[in-house]
Amino acid sequence: MSTLARATRAQPVHLVVVALIAAVFLFGMTVSDRFATPLNLANVQDQMVALAIVALAQTVVILSGGIDLSFAGALSFLCVVFAALAGDSAGSLLMAMAVVVAAGVLIGVVNGGITAHVGIHPLITTLGTSTILAGVALLITRQPTGSVPLFFEDLTYERLGVVPYGMIFVIALYLLIGFMLWRTPFGTRIFAIGDNETAAAVSGLPVKQTKIAIYALSGLLCAVAAMYMTGRFSVGDPRAGVGFDLRSITPVIVGGTLLAGGKGGVLGTALAVILLALLANVLNFMNVSSFYQWIAEGVIIIAAVSFFAGKGKS
Amino acid sequence: MTQPFLAARNLSKSFGPNDVLRGIEFEVHGGHAVALCGENGAGKSTLIKLLTGLYTPTGGHVEFQGQPAGWSDPRQSLAAGIAVVHQEFSVLGALSIAENIYLGAEPRTRLGLIDRKALNRSAQALLNDLGITLDPNDLVENLSVADKQMVEIAKALRSDAKVLILDEPTAVLSQNETRHLFRIIRDLRERGLGLVYVSHRLDEIFEICTDITVIKDGIVTSKGPTTDYTHDSVIAAMVGRELGDLFPPKSPDPTAGETVLKVRNLVVSPELPPASLDVHAGEIAGLAGLVGSGRTELALALYGAAPATGDVTLMGEPMPYRDPAGCIEAGMLMLTESRKDDGLFLNTSVARNFAATTPGHGVHHNAIPPGHEERRAAILKERRGVVVDHVGLPISALSGGNQQKVLVARLLENRPKLLILDEPTRGVDVGAKAEIYKTLRELADEGMALLVISSELIEIVGLCDRVYVMRDGEIASELRGDDISEEAIITVAAAETSTHHGVAA
Repeated sequence: MSTLARATRAQPVHLVVVALIAAVFLFGMTVSDRFATPLNLANVQDQMVALAIVALAQTVVILSGGIDLSFAGALSFLCVVFAALAGDSAGSLLMAMAVVVAAGVLIGVVNGGITAHVGIHPLITTLGTSTILAGVALLITRQPTGSVPLFFEDLTYERLGVVPYGMIFVIALYLLIGFMLWRTPFGTRIFAIGDNETAAAVSGLPVKQTKIAIYALSGLLCAVAAMYMTGRFSVGDPRAGVGFDLRSITPVIVGGTLLAGGKGGVLGTALAVILLALLANVLNFMNVSSFYQWIAEGVIIIAAVSFFAGKGKS
Repeated sequence: MTQPFLAARNLSKSFGPNDVLRGIEFEVHGGHAVALCGENGAGKSTLIKLLTGLYTPTGGHVEFQGQPAGWSDPRQSLAAGIAVVHQEFSVLGALSIAENIYLGAEPRTRLGLIDRKALNRSAQALLNDLGITLDPNDLVENLSVADKQMVEIAKALRSDAKVLILDEPTAVLSQNETRHLFRIIRDLRERGLGLVYVSHRLDEIFEICTDITVIKDGIVTSKGPTTDYTHDSVIAAMVGRELGDLFPPKSPDPTAGETVLKVRNLVVSPELPPASLDVHAGEIAGLAGLVGSGRTELALALYGAAPATGDVTLMGEPMPYRDPAGCIEAGMLMLTESRKDDGLFLNTSVARNFAATTPGHGVHHNAIPPGHEERRAAILKERRGVVVDHVGLPISALSGGNQQKVLVARLLENRPKLLILDEPTRGVDVGAKAEIYKTLRELADEGMALLVISSELIEIVGLCDRVYVMRDGEIASELRGDDISEEAIITVAAAETSTHHGVAA
């Protein structure tokens, strides 16, 4: 296997996703003249930034054999906190960023700590923290409130040609995390724990510390997504994260990462995020209700997993 | 004599009220290979876990180079130079050979990143040193079982190990692969390492071990240099009695009864030749072979739990379409290989486990009255020799032997004509083994047909009237009467037939 293929964890399924992206793209061009315009393609990218960031976090967690359902509550909570503190100056913005990043990491440390040390399944742990944080966010405010400095809001709308700054940031994040998985001891540990936790422990790996670090990283990325979302909305919405728990899992699975852990990578997630965003956009052009988009997304998840299940048997 | 590298001094371990090990004295010297012998459940794996710090002792201590070790974490013993090759491999399929070998100790660049060049170079050097021809870049999931084990050994030896513990290393190896392993073991011994070798195969122990320590029921019953022992004296120390006492007398004419199960041209997998076999009323037939030779797969196919084509008749009735429910209905029952995974309902009461396959026995209108299961389960204590305070307790509270007796009793409630038993005494103490053997022989004498699968050759030789030996998924030979011996079975089972390694698909 070539080094490049190992580094990117490329799988044959990625070609299928690429083919689907091409098919959806061509189909989109037949649906509307406005589909393949720079403006629309930039819009599609804007719409995938937040999901791309939490799906990246989810990829790392799922690779380690875990799952993080805390995004729903955590995003809402962090958005509200960020908008409440960001004010209108660079100074207050920096302070808000520091607080939100620290809070995101802390949420992750709690998730990872309870999962690793108490031995509760991460599904339960993160569902619990998510519910708590969703409640806290609504206790802080019922209505979208707060603000961010205008220049920060502008940043989330600026573009370099057809590519939004947010998208450039996302690409950098994916390269960074991909490199981390490929070249750092931490990355190797993530795969090892996801593949066989007992074997990893017997091999002398610090399984508990690694788990805590994984969820902390997930919380950190969640904080980054929250800041971006608050910038886009220019207000802190206490329901901003609703649905992101399950939506963050879809691209990971469609991208070929095993839900059981140990196999997969960020390339598949990136491709799947693009596929899902394009699909939603094309369906919009067709004036299809967003409820049908949910149906389409559900069909894709089940089809993707059936595809892998069928392959596993042969 | 010089100081041992690793030793147990008056070492004891109990879990709650159960004493698993009592006053163990055990030592490994450099340049020696010590065989650790004992039946399943004798306490060998507990001892290994104590020696490596995975468990903490309840009495006595572990000594490393003459000093109390005081390890509370396997990472400490690993750092000190105690390496273990586990029975279940701890290699990871998703990583490359080199990544596996240096997992947790990867060579780093100045920036703290994994130095992949150095990683592959060191791995290659280590593999060369051990005479293993593998490419360190290959993913482990693509390797044969034997090669995975070689990776496991290389991993254990990546740092300067002083003691290498091998837990049943040859259980999954072919004869050639075992030869290669023995060359490596001898080489390591000459380099001055101390080895601990856990195996059930006495031939191997006599071939490569310098010393023998026998554990039975948690205490050391015998130890000394290998030259002081014979096969029989080791077995006697392991089981604590002569083999004749363990097994009831065999049937004088096993094939005299009518043919209960007749299998012709059963195809379990398209790549393998079809299998044919018979089991008669009143006999105990055995299915022997190495792990992965296809015994369990064949049995599951007979029982309709795995797809297969071919002619299967039970009491003269053809059974073209089999599923477990239909087989039970027809009188063919199976005791599955793993009690915990596919036999017991662990959190459920003894009584309900017993009644699980016949819930409606003696009940009208499908409503099970309170206490009915408990009343039925009274037979367990009265007739089946199960030791239990109260049948309402969860079955997880019982010892392995008693759990197994409950499972056998459960099968008998269905009044089987043919009983297939996969590893009937795995993880069961010697006393319970003798009782299970006695029960099985009584059932045969009453006219039942039994087919026993076992990895323990002693069991096959001592219990079975007739033995089918499997190799690479096919029935390679049939042995009868005095022809049934450990040597004869191994000769057939481990013969080299093809170049492909390891576990059959």
